[in-house]
Amino acid sequence: MSEPIAILDKVSYQYPRSSNFVLSNISLEIHKGEFLGIIGPTGAGKTTLCLALNGIVPQFYGGRFFGSIKIKGLDTVDHPISEMAALVGCVFDDPETQLIATSVENEIAFALENLRIPREEILRRIPKVLQAVRLEGMEKKHPVELSGGQKQRLAIAAALAVQPSLLVLDEPTSQLDPVGTQEVFATVRALNKELGMTIVMASHAAEEMAEFADRIVLLSKGEIVALGTPDQVYAEVDLLVNNDLRPPQAATTFYLIQKKEIPVPRIPVQLEQGVNMLPRVLQGCKFNPPETFSEISHHDGEPLLSVQNLTHIYPDGTKAIHDVSLDIFEGEYVLIIGQNGAGKSTLVKHFLNLLKPTEGVVKVGGVDTRELSVSDLARRIGYVAQNPDNQIFNSTVGDEVAFALRNLGYSKEEVELRTVESLKAMGLLEFRSQHPLSLPKGDRARVVIAAILAMKPEIIIFDEPTTGQDYRGAQYILEISRKLHKMGKTVIVITHHLYLMPEFAERVIVMGKGTVLMDAPIRKAYHAVDLLRATYLSPPQAVILSREIATLQLQPIPELLTPEEVASCFHCSNHGRYA
Amino acid sequence: MSNIPAGQERKVEFLGGASIDGTPVAYIVVLAAVVAALAFIPFSVVMASGGSFPMSQGVFSLVGWVLGPIAGAVASGIGTLIGVFIAPHTAGVAPVSVYGAIVASFAAGCMVTGDKRRGWWLIPGILAILSSLYYAGRALFINGVSPLWVLLGYLVAWVGILLYLLPTRILFAKWIASKNAGLVALGAFLGTFASFAVSHVAQTAITYHMFNWPEEVWQLLAGLIPIEYLSRCLIGAVIGAGVIVGLRAIGLVKPAHATY
Repeated sequence: MSEPIAILDKVSYQYPRSSNFVLSNISLEIHKGEFLGIIGPTGAGKTTLCLALNGIVPQFYGGRFFGSIKIKGLDTVDHPISEMAALVGCVFDDPETQLIATSVENEIAFALENLRIPREEILRRIPKVLQAVRLEGMEKKHPVELSGGQKQRLAIAAALAVQPSLLVLDEPTSQLDPVGTQEVFATVRALNKELGMTIVMASHAAEEMAEFADRIVLLSKGEIVALGTPDQVYAEVDLLVNNDLRPPQAATTFYLIQKKEIPVPRIPVQLEQGVNMLPRVLQGCKFNPPETFSEISHHDGEPLLSVQNLTHIYPDGTKAIHDVSLDIFEGEYVLIIGQNGAGKSTLVKHFLNLLKPTEGVVKVGGVDTRELSVSDLARRIGYVAQNPDNQIFNSTVGDEVAFALRNLGYSKEEVELRTVESLKAMGLLEFRSQHPLSLPKGDRARVVIAAILAMKPEIIIFDEPTTGQDYRGAQYILEISRKLHKMGKTVIVITHHLYLMPEFAERVIVMGKGTVLMDAPIRKAYHAVDLLRATYLSPPQAVILSREIATLQLQPIPELLTPEEVASCFHCSNHGRYA
Repeated sequence: MSNIPAGQERKVEFLGGASIDGTPVAYIVVLAAVVAALAFIPFSVVMASGGSFPMSQGVFSLVGWVLGPIAGAVASGIGTLIGVFIAPHTAGVAPVSVYGAIVASFAAGCMVTGDKRRGWWLIPGILAILSSLYYAGRALFINGVSPLWVLLGYLVAWVGILLYLLPTRILFAKWIASKNAGLVALGAFLGTFASFAVSHVAQTAITYHMFNWPEEVWQLLAGLIPIEYLSRCLIGAVIGAGVIVGLRAIGLVKPAHATY
């Protein structure tokens, strides 16, 4: 093994005015040229650990710090952050908050200028790092003109320009769409494999981490609970689940098969490994899928929401939506997917009357939205934005829920009644007098949903509700969506995270380049693998595995969606064959 | 695994290369920018210098409590200097405005509760007394203004100075450092009153020397000045309490001589 570039020795850390240790006795060596993945549920201490690697923790935040972190022999507590910054480059989750300059080249030059690097050297480094992150030719562009993935790659380039020994990335893909995520992972992988850059990355992207990382450290409550290769750590499905982490679907599938006492030589953690293992596992058992799955149809009566030949052209001439027609019926749970720029948000804004059709008609309850005011529609359609914090502005949870009701002119008694009802439904009554921002992020989303629910809307739209959430947080919000659906609400969810949705959605609308590419029940849509990939969406690994099984079995099988469904079709026929 | 730290506890301090009097330059830059931005927002007309006073006057004291006397004075001075160029409508007599900003933040930063720098308040205190004596004497004995209007015109300021000179200064600082948000707001209100009064009379000594305004203006000031003080103190209390509570919540490393 190569020499350690970072040595963490019994590191413990407590934020100011906190009685808990967010890091607890962490001892770890990070080796030169390795890709170390950090995983763990929210609150595990991943971000704090990343910030500690260049001294921001504790120098900037204060608090109590125990033990030591040495990067190339320099102690992060004894050396100023400016000195550590030359050794440790940092990239954070939201690219928007990291870019400050007015051009790509100025962005890269900023840190170098602050480190008093000579001008000639800065000019020499800029093209080199732009090439490393594949942003050549964009030197003069304003960062706002870049896509999410390009912005994050620019942030990486700015960190690389300092020529750090260690590049630390904290959830660099959590705010990105699938294209941006692929771009960032490809870039980081190239830096690690081709340039030998030492990488530390905290991420919830289990499939990608399993593929790219050399070692994984699993943090829980500030402690290291597992450390090993991805094959070792991600194969510990129980451990991951107990720590509110989502294992790669390939691992979950074979873990569940193994639990049925079907011999599985080892739990594969990558899709390719799983595909390669399928023939051997199938040899030792029977594969009996159900003949069909029942489909729920709500397509009776008048549609609740109807879009007819909708086209929208923005004032700058961009045609965001072209001739879209679809009907959404009462009680449906609809998933709208597609890459950024596919027209999803533009479509939804027409539902809310925030945009007027350039051509075509949008009807809610049979009434043209052009005849309805935004407040009329607010009573019928609730909209939960990607970041709940952007929708919160009152100083108590109760006021937040009551705010819209008061503005819609309801009586004092009605406002109180609906507020209490809604808070109860979301389990927030006990937090009524608390400041909304004092609650955890998942609960803040519930506050927004409670405020929407108080208006008793028929339709609730969730716009990217799982972006930036860990697995537990994402499940939590989706469970709320299920609860609302069971209450009879029509639910529309926009998301890139396909693997999260099979338990919830019934129908999928795939959008691309402003048109509806597919509108089908979820099983059919998820198995349109080529179409999904063409629009840069990743089908869940369980879907790929089930299709691979169909190929191996030389017969069509029903459209399976989840690891549980795939595993349930395996039946033991020859115990201990590989034991 | 135990939660008891096995490693040795380390002394935590901000080691950023650039700091002024124990305050990171980054903090100074940020608050100077805030002061400059608030210079845009005009409040009431100050007859003495013929312009509108800017909202930034309400936060000079806060800057002193957050950054300490020297760094606070630097931040307010730079912010106001930028403000006089980008917002000339609130600048008044520009050099005097910059001087006033420096004095206000310095005076606020000298409001300490402990032994460290416990005597520094004498500098703004003596400046306030000398300035008051100068312009009151000039008004009474050179320009012949009635003693009643001189007294009424600057009564509020002198009450503020009195609160600054007395141990009430320490009480306000204790309230600002309190965990109770209500006391923080009250401390910020009264602390702004006392420390800005020092700055106000220090500026008036210069502007009165320049303009020698007649008795009629003193009469107007008697009505205007209390209103202006009230608005400054409210700005100081609302923004001050919010900023201090927020800074505590996010847990940034405190500058070495911060009062909060």
